[in-house]
Amino acid sequence: MLRLWPLARGLQAKQVLASLARCNSSAPPEKLEVFVDDKPVLVEPGTTILQACADAGVEIPRFCYHERLSIAGNCRMCLVEVERSPKPVASCAMPVMKGMKIKTDSPLTKRAREGVMEFLLMNHPLDCPICDQGGECDLQDQSMTFGNDKSRFTDMDHTGKRAVEDKNVGPLIKTIMTRCIHCTRCIRFASEVAGVDDLGTTGRGGDMQVGTYVEKMFKSELSGNVIDLCPVGALTSKPYAFTTRPWETRKIESIDVMDALGSNIVVTMRTNEVMRILPRINEDINEEWISDATRFAYDGLKRQRLTTPFVKNDKGILEQADWESALIKVAQKIVQTPGEKIGAVAGGLVDAEALIALKDYLNRLGSEALCTEEIFPMDGAGTDLRSNYLLNTKIQGVEQADLILLVGTNPRFEAPLFNARIRKSWINNDLTVAMVGSQVDLTYDYEHLGDSASILNDIASGKHPFSKTLAAAKNPMVVVGSSALQRGDGTSIHKAVSTIAQNARVQSGCGEDWKVLNVLHRVASQVAALDLGYKAGVDAIRENPPQILFLLGADEGAITKEDIPADCFVVYQGHHGDRGAAMADVILPGAAYTEKDATYVNTEGRAQQTRTAVTPPMLAREDWKIIRALSEISGNSLPYDKLQEVRDRLYEVSPNLVQYGEAEDANYFKQAQELAQSVSGTIQEKPLTPSMQNLKDFYMTNSIGRASQTMAKCVKAVQDMD
Amino acid sequence: MAGLCRVSPALRVTNAVNNLCPVTLIGIRKQTTEAKKPEKTKFGPLNDDDRIFQNIYGRHDFRLKGAMARGDWYKTKEIVEKGHDWILKEIVTSGLRGRGGAGFPSGMKWGFMNKPSDGRPKYLVVNADEGEPGTCKDREIMRHDPHTLVEGCLVAGRAMGARAAYIYIRGEFYNEASNLQVAIKEAYDQGFIGKNACGSGYDFDVYVHRGAGAYICGEETALIESLEGKQGKPRLKPPFPADVGVFGCPTTVANVETVAVAPTICRRGGEWFAGFGRDRNRGTKLFNISGHVNNPCTVEEEMSIPLRELIERHAGGVIGGWDNLLAVIPGGSSTPLIPKSVCDDVLMDFDALVEAQTGLGTAAIIVMNQSADVIRCIARLIEFYKHESCGQCTPCREGCGWMLKMMNRFVQGNARPDEIDMLWEISKQIEGHTICALGDGAAWPVQGLIRHFRPEIEARMAMYEKQKKATA
Amino acid sequence: MASSKAVQGLKHVKPILSTDTNQARRRVLNLYRAWYRVVPYICETYTLPITPEMCRNKIREEFDKNRHITDLRVIDMLCVKGQQDLMETKNVWKQMNHIMAYFKDTVNPQPQDFLSKFYDGHNP
Repeated sequence: MLRLWPLARGLQAKQVLASLARCNSSAPPEKLEVFVDDKPVLVEPGTTILQACADAGVEIPRFCYHERLSIAGNCRMCLVEVERSPKPVASCAMPVMKGMKIKTDSPLTKRAREGVMEFLLMNHPLDCPICDQGGECDLQDQSMTFGNDKSRFTDMDHTGKRAVEDKNVGPLIKTIMTRCIHCTRCIRFASEVAGVDDLGTTGRGGDMQVGTYVEKMFKSELSGNVIDLCPVGALTSKPYAFTTRPWETRKIESIDVMDALGSNIVVTMRTNEVMRILPRINEDINEEWISDATRFAYDGLKRQRLTTPFVKNDKGILEQADWESALIKVAQKIVQTPGEKIGAVAGGLVDAEALIALKDYLNRLGSEALCTEEIFPMDGAGTDLRSNYLLNTKIQGVEQADLILLVGTNPRFEAPLFNARIRKSWINNDLTVAMVGSQVDLTYDYEHLGDSASILNDIASGKHPFSKTLAAAKNPMVVVGSSALQRGDGTSIHKAVSTIAQNARVQSGCGEDWKVLNVLHRVASQVAALDLGYKAGVDAIRENPPQILFLLGADEGAITKEDIPADCFVVYQGHHGDRGAAMADVILPGAAYTEKDATYVNTEGRAQQTRTAVTPPMLAREDWKIIRALSEISGNSLPYDKLQEVRDRLYEVSPNLVQYGEAEDANYFKQAQELAQSVSGTIQEKPLTPSMQNLKDFYMTNSIGRASQTMAKCVKAVQDMD
Repeated sequence: MAGLCRVSPALRVTNAVNNLCPVTLIGIRKQTTEAKKPEKTKFGPLNDDDRIFQNIYGRHDFRLKGAMARGDWYKTKEIVEKGHDWILKEIVTSGLRGRGGAGFPSGMKWGFMNKPSDGRPKYLVVNADEGEPGTCKDREIMRHDPHTLVEGCLVAGRAMGARAAYIYIRGEFYNEASNLQVAIKEAYDQGFIGKNACGSGYDFDVYVHRGAGAYICGEETALIESLEGKQGKPRLKPPFPADVGVFGCPTTVANVETVAVAPTICRRGGEWFAGFGRDRNRGTKLFNISGHVNNPCTVEEEMSIPLRELIERHAGGVIGGWDNLLAVIPGGSSTPLIPKSVCDDVLMDFDALVEAQTGLGTAAIIVMNQSADVIRCIARLIEFYKHESCGQCTPCREGCGWMLKMMNRFVQGNARPDEIDMLWEISKQIEGHTICALGDGAAWPVQGLIRHFRPEIEARMAMYEKQKKATA
Repeated sequence: MASSKAVQGLKHVKPILSTDTNQARRRVLNLYRAWYRVVPYICETYTLPITPEMCRNKIREEFDKNRHITDLRVIDMLCVKGQQDLMETKNVWKQMNHIMAYFKDTVNPQPQDFLSKFYDGHNP
């Protein structure tokens, strides 16, 4: 390195000049040829040596480097020899230069790695047998591959290794700071991705510690990701502590349902029990992060479960029953009741298969009263045009956008990874963010236009100064939170927002391919329900009180006992004994998202499927099968017996529901906006307040979260801190 | 810790020459052609007339009046008005090399700043975080001759087109900082700096920033971090400060002495300065002599003066006579020591000391006579480095602690002879594997000790073994 | 006959034991008789919960299953297997359930329609 710096500088200067020249001619940057172990490889200028080696198929050991975080270059594990450089260079931080000859397997490189590994292990405790990282520990793996085979560390005076006090950073992350190798990944994650500067280092040299400066909780909705990032066992999962080893478990690739994003996850299972949930890389949705609710709410799957059917007896007490009697009880009622007197409400965690089965069944019986708990304006184009209710720009679209207007939403808690995307774009792409709604901490700066919904009218009509900013943007996005549409004037808000979006679309000249209008949903089932033709909101039930009410996982209390006649027969089907089950006459136990192969459509309109990781507990059954069985008993059999047949039916209704992994573009924005103009009504003055304001509101948003002890601990910890 | 600037010791100059921008290249060529004059063979002692720092002992007034009487701020306006090319040419001609320890040619370094501007302001940062054990030259400048530094900031700043200079001064230097602040105030009041500095039409500000007492903040990128209000931890290079420095703007970090000599060089001409010392080791230099000498002192002398002459003329000789000398650390604590046999005829300049497997560093000479326990001396130095390691990168954080543990045992002799090789190996694992040069600085003293005093270490181990057997 | 055609088609294959149909027939009858005689002893030693009559009927049933076979070699092979089975049964190398398996299928029938699958378990 001694010699290399001036050399690097000289070459860099040339590169800058060359790139300036290139800018003028606007030619694509030419690739550089470098040699990795004498193998030529072409890479873009500006790539690091480590990436160039990865392109050449050589993996360089590393601890501090992570693709999605800034470069720290402090672990020194990635040192490689570069020809004509007397010192080995840190490959994670060094940009390649033309004709560079990199030697990843030379004696110098090997010695450097061995040396660094020896230093790292010097103060690392030998507690691998009781360490939760065992089996997935970078330090363990790399010391086997790159380390020396014997120890030179003689401790004649028994001075011991460095010992560091463990920090209490909340109920989710267990810290054993003695194991820390000071790679600072967690610190960089906290400040860059999570946007919370809670973590940092104190002290220096051998006394340096990673921590929260003062004892406090690591207060972030994304905090769990530092567990995955930590290359050693310093940060591990507190709920998962001492439960399983990674080689004992089976990993099932699945989808999360805690929010409407459908983050990709891996469910880890042993002995028919979900042991933990980890993220799975999906660049379109969650990159490689997941929120804390996704990661830690799994213990809610083991509590408060409905494991057997219940039927209310003459005394009005729910009694355990077998399937046959429970289904017969329901079927008898259904047969006695005219079809139009049957209603259904679907909750937020229901899969598309159950939704289509219930809809088909009730339609056969002659009922059209199928509703979702979440409200969405049904006037104007309503839910007839998909563009009206999707996140049309897609989550990845945030990275192309240059302006985002958030309306009545707190994406930080409603969709943490969407918020992380906005933050990423805000940092890297100079994204401007503006907000109409209550002022909340989004981890990035935004222009707060006010919390009154009437501002939307001003923006729509061009009276507001922000209209000009919006018109000047090249790729604007308008994101309205579904919580804003829950209000009585939701229709008018949607109308104003779609007008703003349409105006921005025309004025910015962004072209047909760029969508502006976006709806950010909060629950996993909503888009599929709307795609299948469910009515959004329970008004239909209220206006036309049914004699039989079928609650399909409806736990948010949209319909209460007071809304329905006293003699109304309530059937609850779902997986948790929550608000819905409390008002039921018959309870049919269903399966949670880890227990079935099911389809969920996220807020972008992207269909994805969960996979069966564990079997449903005891007598619980997959939801669509329960409805199918009920239909047969009531003498009105649904025409599908197998999952594939249900999916064929889904395909008939809406092909996008089974095109897994793809998000189909929606269109007809102009028409939707024109239809919206026919809607009458005014926006009320009251402020737009998203339901989730603080971190404590984030943890318990559905029946799984409410049943989870971990989530309860989180709420308590946050409350104690505030 | 001026010594940490040694990111680029002398050996990189040859390579650097090949990568120069044209302006500086011409300068170097000129210098080499003119060096064809008959070479000097005798260096030092320096005439009083030729001393740049006339008030190094504080016998006169440090304020503006006294400084102007000594010739500071004389024709500064003309120098500034001659523009950066002229100043750079003079500096290149003078052959001035950085005085902070690395010895990088200053003309070339300042020339890196003259790239076409992209709109960002440029800054000069003066490294006054002098923390290298044994080094006490910058503090003498700042407390007794602060105007040379303030004027130097203007001249050096003009040479690189800087908008302002930040003087990052070591936190412990309270009196130095206040004297410097007085000088800056005087200079502002006189219109020498600030808007339209010296009436030249050039705007230039000087700020003093006091550090919080960390040796590592003397490393240029750590200094920049600290100046920005962050933890003083060295940054990765590239990008170099000349591209992305303080507050994200192009920055040059220079040592106090380097900056302070610039006005005199410009006034008396680069040729005058180049008249001192050997080729490639030109000029005068402040030497600090401490340790087992009769009269520890800081003195300005000609470069390439023989070590023995320097000690005997200015420091009153080694205590107990020259023959009582054991070893000398010639350039601040982070340079390897040299034993008496080398000290006898070594010249005090960059190249001669590199040949002797050590370095000029900050030219802080630490003299040890036979009464010193050289192993314990080095162990104490390692303790210092262990304490001052920033903890950012692994080899230095973990290695310094390990070396200290071993050195402490070596002091007693409680070790096996093969552990000496192991210590050597560990020091080699630290050296060159770290982000900044602190790791190197911690490794070199140990290497120097093992290189020259291995028999002493082994003898002590044998003695310990014998005592243990006797008591057992 | 089909068998003779088969024999013609595979001329190089030698018969295993029997050279003609009569011989084969005699073997089968001998085997049948041997089984028939041993039935009371089987019922007693295995303490079977069935009468010897039922047992004999089952034997006849099992022989009748192969009545249609005309290929001499197949008949011979079945006879040999029958002999082995007889030996195992007579020497009590079997256990009761091995014999009772002839009378009742040990595997419960899988539910076929959706509803019974649904009642039955998790994964119909």
